[in-house]
Amino acid sequence: MTNLPAAAPPDQPRRTHSWLVLTASERGASHVASKAPNQDAVAAERAGAEGAVAAVADGHGHSRHLRSARGSRLAVKIGCQVAQELADRLGSADAIFAQPDAAGTPAATAEELTKLAEEFLVPAVVSRWRDAVLADVKAEPFTEAEQALRHAGDDAGIAYGSTLLLAMVLRGWLILAQIGDGDVVGVQADGRAIEPVPADPQLDGLVTTSLCGADPRSDFRVAAVDTTQHPLLAVLLATDGYGNAQVVDRWASAFSEDLAWMLKDRDVNWLASQLPSWAARCASSDGSADDTTVALLISAAKAGQRAGQDSDVGSEETTIPAVPHAGTVPVQVPAAPPSTEPVTMRQLAHRPAPEPVMLERSTPRRKTTPAGEQAVSHEPATTEIPKVRQGQAGDDRKRDSGHGGDLGGAGLGGAGLGGAGPGGAGPGGDEPPTTEWRPPGTGAR
Amino acid sequence: MTETLMPGGGVARRPLHFIVMADCSGSMKGEKMQALNYALRSMLPHLVDWERDQLQAQLLIRILSFASAPQWYVADPVPVGQLSAHWRNLEYVPMGRSNMGPAFRAVGEALSPDRLERRALRPAILLVTDGLPTDPPGAFESGLASLLEMAAGRSALRLAVAIGRDANSEPLDRFRSPEVPVLVADGTDEIADRLVTASIAVSRMSEVGVNRGALAEQLNIADPARRSQPEVPTRQASQGGYFEDIL
Repeated sequence: MTNLPAAAPPDQPRRTHSWLVLTASERGASHVASKAPNQDAVAAERAGAEGAVAAVADGHGHSRHLRSARGSRLAVKIGCQVAQELADRLGSADAIFAQPDAAGTPAATAEELTKLAEEFLVPAVVSRWRDAVLADVKAEPFTEAEQALRHAGDDAGIAYGSTLLLAMVLRGWLILAQIGDGDVVGVQADGRAIEPVPADPQLDGLVTTSLCGADPRSDFRVAAVDTTQHPLLAVLLATDGYGNAQVVDRWASAFSEDLAWMLKDRDVNWLASQLPSWAARCASSDGSADDTTVALLISAAKAGQRAGQDSDVGSEETTIPAVPHAGTVPVQVPAAPPSTEPVTMRQLAHRPAPEPVMLERSTPRRKTTPAGEQAVSHEPATTEIPKVRQGQAGDDRKRDSGHGGDLGGAGLGGAGLGGAGPGGAGPGGDEPPTTEWRPPGTGAR
Repeated sequence: MTETLMPGGGVARRPLHFIVMADCSGSMKGEKMQALNYALRSMLPHLVDWERDQLQAQLLIRILSFASAPQWYVADPVPVGQLSAHWRNLEYVPMGRSNMGPAFRAVGEALSPDRLERRALRPAILLVTDGLPTDPPGAFESGLASLLEMAAGRSALRLAVAIGRDANSEPLDRFRSPEVPVLVADGTDEIADRLVTASIAVSRMSEVGVNRGALAEQLNIADPARRSQPEVPTRQASQGGYFEDIL
């Protein structure tokens, strides 16, 4: 067990960094065709007073992993819980996050935080996931139909097999943990990409490591990034349905360059409206046809450069009014009185992915002024993103909680606003439709 | 309508590489070569139809002819529809031998990680031959080993069509995927049927995923001449902790 350093002096300046988390999950076209559920899951929660944690997971598709949709939901739920506990522990040890001293030596190093993740976060996630799986099996034993799909000698956990990608942003640090395939991409201010999680030679694109593997602790890869030294605009977590859809083999660079431009040119509400389309496009038969789930962590300070004009993004108050996806989802303005509840997530209807407009690389879109001069346009072709009063958005959230019926969706929230989007883990709360897992062959779903 | 902007370079279906290794040795002269060309031509429309009807893959095909030495007949992966529309017959190599080792090595190189898209589905390899390998001692084994050293070669669906019972040899058993039997064409008139069966196997790859047992069952149904009970390998968690990465 790693010992946390003593608390920092009270006058020690604290690094505060607020982050927003957007999420989206889309059932793959191949899963739709085979009547398989969305086996991905996503969750986002507050971590400590200022941090946020996001997790995505990809339940394995083979029939042997017959409860993988549950396994992925358990993975993101437990991943967020453990990250929150880590944040709490770190929150009581300010010295580890203290500013660099006069010699420029930071109080905490990436190595120390990596070790902390390896020695606390990973073992806790692995053991709790397994405990949760066993408890789930005890509460709901395998049916006869499920037993027929299991291989002889399979451990119960194999039925729940899943990957897990976890990102925690906390006071200037980005802490990452990943088992299995999928991508973690950091977007730097200059548009360059970083992929901090070490590559795993076991992942050759054909097989994956798993939480249900023989030694998941050793298969986890962790990383810590000092975002004060390497400022990030955003961090993308994506299940492999996203990367497998990308035409460019090394797509992270192109993604990062384009997203950096978007973050400077568009506001966060616009991004929130786009993210489900990205997931849907990748999950479609024009892409990987696989379940596709993304969590996009955005530095609120960067997002607030534009979004702050319209909202509280970037301030200490991180609640953001939800905005319906203009053009793809009819804006349903409820007649109910406005709610004062903060908006933590937003539901977008399941829909076909619109044709995307590919960015012209690094070329700001311009429009011609009457005087014939070129002026940089900072607005999309349809410039108006409908604004919804807080109460409307709150009602949207209630509707989401109520039916939980759509697979695609985006969560939008300030750091730690619990922005678990549809398809995300929400035990006891909002459940994605895939939580109602039914054994194959029942014709359900 | 708000426009949709997507970062990155765009999306596309995942490539499924299909490599045909065609024996063009001297013994293929005449009727066999004609039948092989007819069979390949007949197989392509099935693959075109399958590609059109499925959701996941873009089928890209290459053809390697081999005799004393391998030679790429279609070197660059081309969409199967394009090849079907511009088909040109293969020709046998007079006095050519059936050296398979160098051919395996050439396919292995084509499937090396630096030449295969990261997102490519498991490839499929179809070997069609009418005889025993004529490699110098050790060359068959080393060539096959170089193919199986590649993750993509190892995980590929490896199909073998033997033209004539005598061609169904132990070396082909070493090449083929364990769960898929050698498809035997007793006469030249059966080559086309066997290749169609092979195309069914390729098209079922993404449908059955790693459930190769189901694939074997389907092949046995499609090819009633084959009733062998293939071995279905399983990779347990305790054997390395890998789990097949299928959709």
